Amino acid sequence: MNKASNLSQVMDFVRAARANKAPFEIVAGGTRRNVGKPLADLALLDVSGLSGILKYEPEELILTAAPATPLAEIIAVLGEKNQRLGFDPADWSGLLKSNGVATLAGAASSDASGSGKLRHGGPRDSLLGFQAVNGLGESFRGGSKVVKNVTGFDLPKLMCGAYGTLSVLTEMTFRVYPKPQHAAVLCLNDVTPEIGFAQLRKIALSALEPAGLAYLPAGMIADVGQGAALIKLEGARQPLEEKIALAHGLLGSAMQRIESDPFPAIGCGDKFADLSGDVWRVMIAPSDAPKVAKDLNATHWLGDWAGGVIWLAAPPSQAAHIRKVAAAAKGQAMLLRASAESRALHGLYAAQPPALAALNRAVKAAFDPLSLFNPNRL
Amino acid sequence: MLLPPTDSKIVARRAEIVAALKDIVPDGVVADPSGLATFDSDALSAYHQMPLVCVLPSNRDQVSEILKFAQAEGVPIVPRGAGTSLSGGALPREDGILIGMGRMKRIIEIDYENGCVVVEPGVTNLNITKAVEANGFYYAPDPSSQVACTIGGNVAENSGGLHCLKYGLTTNNLLGVTFVLPGGEIVTLGGKCGAQGGLDLLGLVTGSEGLLGVVVEVVVKILRKAPVTRTLLASFASVPAAGACVAAIIADGVVPAAMEFMDRRAAEAIESYNQPGYPLDAEAILIIDADGVEADVSHAVSRVIDIVAKCGGKTVEATDEKQRARIWSGRKAAFAAMGKLAPDMICMDGTIPRHALPQVLEEMAKLSDQYGLGFCNVFHAGDGNLHPLIIFDTMKPGEFERAEAFGADILRLCVKAGGVLSGEHGIGIEKRDLMTDQFTTEDLAQQGRVKCAFDAQGLFNPGKVFPTLSACVEQGHIHVHGAQLPHPHLPRY
Repeated sequence: MNKASNLSQVMDFVRAARANKAPFEIVAGGTRRNVGKPLADLALLDVSGLSGILKYEPEELILTAAPATPLAEIIAVLGEKNQRLGFDPADWSGLLKSNGVATLAGAASSDASGSGKLRHGGPRDSLLGFQAVNGLGESFRGGSKVVKNVTGFDLPKLMCGAYGTLSVLTEMTFRVYPKPQHAAVLCLNDVTPEIGFAQLRKIALSALEPAGLAYLPAGMIADVGQGAALIKLEGARQPLEEKIALAHGLLGSAMQRIESDPFPAIGCGDKFADLSGDVWRVMIAPSDAPKVAKDLNATHWLGDWAGGVIWLAAPPSQAAHIRKVAAAAKGQAMLLRASAESRALHGLYAAQPPALAALNRAVKAAFDPLSLFNPNRL
Repeated sequence: MLLPPTDSKIVARRAEIVAALKDIVPDGVVADPSGLATFDSDALSAYHQMPLVCVLPSNRDQVSEILKFAQAEGVPIVPRGAGTSLSGGALPREDGILIGMGRMKRIIEIDYENGCVVVEPGVTNLNITKAVEANGFYYAPDPSSQVACTIGGNVAENSGGLHCLKYGLTTNNLLGVTFVLPGGEIVTLGGKCGAQGGLDLLGLVTGSEGLLGVVVEVVVKILRKAPVTRTLLASFASVPAAGACVAAIIADGVVPAAMEFMDRRAAEAIESYNQPGYPLDAEAILIIDADGVEADVSHAVSRVIDIVAKCGGKTVEATDEKQRARIWSGRKAAFAAMGKLAPDMICMDGTIPRHALPQVLEEMAKLSDQYGLGFCNVFHAGDGNLHPLIIFDTMKPGEFERAEAFGADILRLCVKAGGVLSGEHGIGIEKRDLMTDQFTTEDLAQQGRVKCAFDAQGLFNPGKVFPTLSACVEQGHIHVHGAQLPHPHLPRY
C-alpha cells in the first residue's frame, strides 16, 4: 500500500501514477470502500495520514482540517466549544460492517448526511473551501475560508458527492454552528404512512426549524401500532418548550415525548445493519413518500427528511423494480449496500440521460483527464 | 478593463445572423440601434457596449436553437436577465448575441406540499415571494435589486442579500435547474427530489456568471415566514467598537436573520435622504434582525442587547412594524442617499473573516487618505461582506482611475486579510483582473478546464470572470489607461 501523508507526497504519487497511466483507489478511513461501483485490482493510495485539525476558530465558526481527520475527533473538538459541524455527517460503518474509521472527507465525498440534512443542508452547504491535487499532479484550491463567497466557480460543491473521482483532497474548510442546547423527540403513534408523512410535512413547512422528521412503520420500531411519526426539535430551554407546544397545536394530536433519540441510528442506516438484502436510499419529493413507499413494496423501510428519502432493504432481484419506482417519481435510487456483483451491475445511481452523462464525464476529465482517481466509481 | 478583441468577421456577417435569429424567434429579435441601446449596459454603468444583436426567446426550445446556431457559427453569446449585475456580467459584445431571458417569466408551479416553486428564469426574485406570501411563505435570498432582478440572473450570480447570514445564498435555496448547454443540449440538474445522481453540477452552474450555459427553469425552495421578527438599532462611538461587537455576536452563537453595518458618513447621508431616525452622534450603527418563534427571538434579542452594552454601544428596539420598516427603509436607500453626496460612486464587494473587521476598517480609512477620495461603509456585517462606497467626480481628471485603484486596493486588502474578492456581486469584468490576487495560476487553470468542459469554443460570456492572457501578459499590469485600450470608442467615465 502506498502512503501519502502530506501535500507533496500526494503530488509525487499522482505524478508517478500519471506517468505510468496507473489508476488507483483513494482510501482514508476505509469505511465507504464498498459503496459505488467496485474498483477491483487497483493500486491503493492510503491518505489516512492526512489527518488532524489544522485551524479551528470557534469565534469565526470555521474549521479547517486535513481530510482524513476522523469524524469522531471533529465532533469531540467542536463539542468542547458547544459547536457542531455545518452538516450532519452520517457514519455508515455500522451499516457497511466496516472496521474502519469514518472521516471528514469520506462523509463529504459520499454526500453522507444524516437526519439533520432537513435543517442544515448537506456537506455541499457547509464546505467553504478546499485544497486538493488534480489528475495533473498539481495542487489547487477552490472556494475560500470565509462564509460568503462568489469568487470564481464554486468548486467545493463539486467535491461533495464526487466519491473521490475528481481529485485527492488535502485540506477542507467547513462552516460550523453553535450546538443547540437542548433537543426533544416527539412521537406520534399508530399512524399510517399517509397520515404520518402528512403530519411530518406540516412540521417541515412550519417555522419550527425541525432537526429531524422521520416515519417508521411497525417492524422498524416497537410498540407504535401501524407506525410512528418522529419529530425532533432543538433550541434553548424556553424556545424548545415553545416549539413543542406549537408542534402540538399544528398537528392537533397527542404526541409523546420520548427520552432516547432514535435519529442518529435512523440517519446512519443502522436500522438496516442487521437486515439481509441490499440497502437503498430513494430520494424523492417528500409528498410522494407514501405512494413510493407503497410501490417499493419492501418489508423493511423507513422515511427520513420528512419523506424526502426512503430507506429500504430488498433482495437483489428487486433492483430494477426499485429503480423503476424511483424514476416514475422523478427521484434517484442510490444503491448504498450491496454485493460487488450487484454494485457492478446497477451502479450507485441509475444511468443518466446521455447529455448529462457526457457532461459528468467532461467535468471529471477537467480534473482528472487520465481517469486516475477511483475510475468509474460513480 | 480590457475585453477580448472584437471579431470583425462576425460583425461583417451581422445581417445574416439577424436573419437566422429571426427564423428561430420571429417576434423576438432586436436589431435596430435605438432598441439595442436599452441593452448596452448593466448596473456596472461605467461600461457600455452595443450588442451585435439581441434575441428574446420565449421558450427553452428557442434557447436551444439559438445556442446551436451560435455554436455552429462560432458567435459569442452573452446571457442577460434584468441587467442588474453590479460587476458587468451582462455587458454585451460588439460581436456577440445578447440573449435576454426576460420574456420567459411564467410561474410554472407552486408546490406548497413540497415547499417549492417552479419558475422560468425571467421571473423576478420578488415575484416569487409575492406569489406565495398570501399563504405565509417567501423566497429567502433578497438581493437589493429584488424588485427587478430575475431568478435566472440570481442563479447565474449566486445572489445573496440582507438575510443570507441565516438563510444562505441562492445556491442554498435551489432544488434544481434546467440548463441549456452551449451546444444546445438541455439538461436537468436536480429537481424536487433534491438529488442529481452524479456530480453536483447544480452547485457548479450556480454562480457561474453566464460562462457555462443558459438557465431555462428553476426549482426554488420557499420557506414559512417566521412568526416573529424584531429589529434592533445599535450605535457605537467608534467604528472598531462596532466591528468588535459584530465578531462578539457571531462568536456568542446568536445567528441573527440580518446584521447590517453603516458608518457615520453613510448614516448622515441616509438621515438627510429619508429620515429613518438614525442617531447622528454615533460613529457606527448596526441594524440587527432576529426572527423565529417568540421565545427564540426573545433569547436572541436579550443576548444581542447584552453584547452591544459590553462593547460600549447603545441599543434601541423598533417598537412596532412601522418603525421596523422605517429603520430598514434607510438601509435600503443607502446607495441612493450616497448618490446625493457626490456626483459618482462605485460600490465595492468583498468578504473578510469577521474577526478582521476592525483592522480592515482602519486600513480602509488609511487608503482613503492616501487616495484623497472619500468613502463610506455600508455592509452585511454578519457574514463579513463589505460594501464600501467610494465617492468621486468623473469631471475631475484622474478621479475615476483613482477611484478604481482605491477599490482594487480595498479588495486586495480583503484577500490579504484572508477573505475574497466578491461576497455576492460576482467578478464579471469589474474584478476579473484581480483574480490573480486571490488565486494561483494552477487554481485558475483548473477553473478554466471546468469552463472548457462546458464550452470548448469559449463562446459563452468571453472576457468575464477570468483574466485573459492578453491582459496578464501583454499589459503586464491590470490597470489600463484609456489611451492604451484597443477599444477607444468604449465610453469610460
